[in-house]
Amino acid sequence: MSTTTNIVVLAAIASLAAAFPAAAQEASPAPKEDHSGMDMSGDMQGMDMPAAPTKMEMGGMQGGKAPADARNSDDYSDGYRNSTLPNYEMADQISIPKVLVDELEFASGNEGQGIGWSVLVTNGTDSNKLWLRSQGLKNSKEERLDPESSAEALWWHSTGPYWGTLVGVRQDIGKGATTWLAAGVEGLAPYWFDVQLTGYVGSDGRLAARAKLSYEALLTNRLILTPQVEANVYSKQSLDRELGSGFSNVELSARMRYEVSRKFAPYIGYVWERALGGTADFRRSRGEGPGEHRFVAGLRLWW
Amino acid sequence: MPFVMPAIGRRRFVQGLLVGGVASSLALPAWASGSDGGAALSGTEFDLEIAGLPVNYTGKRRIATAVNGRVPAPTLRFREGDTVTLRVHNKLDEMTSVHWHGLIVPAEMDGVPGISFGGIAPGETFTYCFPIRQSGTFWYHAHTLAEQTGLFGAIVIEPRERQVRRPDRDYVVMLSDWTDEPPLQVFLNLKKQSNYYNFGQPTVGDFVKDAGEIGLAAAIKKRQMWNASRMNPTDYSDVSAATYTYLLNGTTAAGNWTGVASPGERVRLRFVGAGTATFFDVRIPGLPLTIVATDGQDVEPVTVDEFRIAPGETYDVEFTMPDAKPYTIFAQSMDRTGFARGTIAPSPGMTGPIPALDQRPWLEPIDMMGAMAAMAGGHTGHGMMEMPPLAKHARTEYGANNDMRVDYPRTNLDDPGAGLRGRPWRVLSYADLKSPNGDPDPREPERDIELHLTGNMERFIWSLDGIKLNDSKPLHFRPNERLRVTFVNDTMMSHPMHLHGMWSDLEDAAGMFQVRKHTIVVQPAQRLSFRVTADAMGRWAFHCHLLYHMAAGMFREVVVA
Repeated sequence: MSTTTNIVVLAAIASLAAAFPAAAQEASPAPKEDHSGMDMSGDMQGMDMPAAPTKMEMGGMQGGKAPADARNSDDYSDGYRNSTLPNYEMADQISIPKVLVDELEFASGNEGQGIGWSVLVTNGTDSNKLWLRSQGLKNSKEERLDPESSAEALWWHSTGPYWGTLVGVRQDIGKGATTWLAAGVEGLAPYWFDVQLTGYVGSDGRLAARAKLSYEALLTNRLILTPQVEANVYSKQSLDRELGSGFSNVELSARMRYEVSRKFAPYIGYVWERALGGTADFRRSRGEGPGEHRFVAGLRLWW
Repeated sequence: MPFVMPAIGRRRFVQGLLVGGVASSLALPAWASGSDGGAALSGTEFDLEIAGLPVNYTGKRRIATAVNGRVPAPTLRFREGDTVTLRVHNKLDEMTSVHWHGLIVPAEMDGVPGISFGGIAPGETFTYCFPIRQSGTFWYHAHTLAEQTGLFGAIVIEPRERQVRRPDRDYVVMLSDWTDEPPLQVFLNLKKQSNYYNFGQPTVGDFVKDAGEIGLAAAIKKRQMWNASRMNPTDYSDVSAATYTYLLNGTTAAGNWTGVASPGERVRLRFVGAGTATFFDVRIPGLPLTIVATDGQDVEPVTVDEFRIAPGETYDVEFTMPDAKPYTIFAQSMDRTGFARGTIAPSPGMTGPIPALDQRPWLEPIDMMGAMAAMAGGHTGHGMMEMPPLAKHARTEYGANNDMRVDYPRTNLDDPGAGLRGRPWRVLSYADLKSPNGDPDPREPERDIELHLTGNMERFIWSLDGIKLNDSKPLHFRPNERLRVTFVNDTMMSHPMHLHGMWSDLEDAAGMFQVRKHTIVVQPAQRLSFRVTADAMGRWAFHCHLLYHMAAGMFREVVVA
């Protein structure tokens, strides 16, 4: 049993790992055609189809690898270095701290009431940042914590214009907490999809993965609807956290915020979540259904 | 309207307070005290005291950075051939600097902290002293974030020898942008969320409207190019009227700066683009405007109805007052979120009609794909075009600092730019600007430096060849060489590029000299080139004159040695 689920999880992690190259590939797709020997008239014919250049060019305009004969901008310096006088303009190197309370909400649904959060604190430069990421849900019924409640400390490294990699640790919060090594990728996919994929190796030998995908639809420039999907998967069950092996849950949500200012936005939303496999069995064993839905109302803040 | 904002709040944003400005002169509109919005200083010896000054443009009291108690700083009047001495006293509690924009001065007098000198420490005085080797309209400003808080003023230099026909009326018109937020806060907001000030982005409602008008498939196709590449077709300006109040000679639109001119009088307006992050589209409805100079350099007169002025540029404009009516100087921001306004009238207190703000159009495919879009039968309709030269990208453009590269940039200097295409009246383009006396240095350029304007919109990283200032090495110019700098703009924003210490002699698409400037706008996906005579020894700044792009790294040092 655990062997098969291990395979499932490994496959999930492998596909996640494949997302690295996918993301990287997006930053470096197939080597660009060599224009040097290209027949320009042939190239021009391609231009006659109005849709063609858009489609054809998009691949070449973003990502890719530098051709072997690309210019070296440093060559213009002839060995000179920048001035060393005081008060040089240094703003391009500063570390910028940001706190994003993406979700801080009161939830009420078929399994009672609770408080949920999703917070991201970052600090660093354009290339490297410290990420502190936490999410969770505390239900007032029996003071129960959602099993995905956790906090992570990660090193974010920029790998492309839209993508970065994450390496660090995750600490579960609550009963049966596990400490995990974490590695993942995050970024902005074409068509403005926010993606966060993280794989974990637990101190108890379990493997896990979490995927989040969201999109911001501008109903107006201040009224913004954010659908999001999250899924979690574990290689082995955890009795303490009442998590089965395999896909443990999938959660679909939609939150609609109004940006009173960019930094202050109250919102309302709806969350539909379903436990799967062994995790669903745990829920049934304590007399609950596998599905949960809740209305949420909260604040999105950053500074 | 392209965005939603409560009517009263929006009016306040766009027009500012009726009598906004320097708090100490609240009772007296700025124009009432003199032709240049206040003070003008002339002579060869100047004392400039830089200090904080309470101002109120929006209903909130803020501290601006003033020179001799003036925001904008007093106009300085020099005479060609004189040697001027300017003692700049820093009464702030932070380092400051003054840069003489467009003036040919020795390197150590150029006023760029870290490059020309170490800046002016709090409580200290720095004495600038340099000969005036030119004439025309120029300006001066802080080479720090204090440029945003008001440290800028005009420079008008009288020619020494030449007999010039003097206009009857001669006014400086400084266009600027004011924010109640500290400029560092503006920069950090942009770094944390690059579309922070853009409340004109395409919405679901726009999509539904488009689908109804042009069909669902066309509406999807219209968005496909932008969304697939994660680019925003409304990204004209990083900073909008969401925080900016646009000023004309330091006066809000509601305050209505007024220049007096009687019927039959010849009027010269010296426009200075002192916006920190704002291009202005300027017109005076009812008056054809004859452009007679740009960046302090005479041009063959060309008459237009509208022109775009970038941060850093100047344009001298002349017209004859036709009658005794008031005429509105209307300068709307390129992103169409607000405007600065003034009036030319026979007497103060008169007001002409104020045009409505235009809609913000989307950027067009040629603003992303350059010549490829033009050839695919886009809007330009040029028929058969020659294959444009292939841009040669730098290795460092393939990293995280750069989100896009244009292989075949367009070379059309006759394009007035997105938002001004297809106007029913004459709009100035760079193709119209011609120096009357030909190439000041007719030597053929000995070599070519290609430099690409690069950026990452999403993360608000700006660079040249994908390299930010502090990761870069300087450009080396050899003493007295004539060289060509070729820009390719790989981004979707326009960048006013300013080389200090030496002139930028703009070429046409065929590589022939066209006009001498000090600040050259490169439009999105455009290639252009200019010649430089490297006759100024030392270290110089070379950067985008959008202050927050410069801060984010779109800046190189130049070494002439």
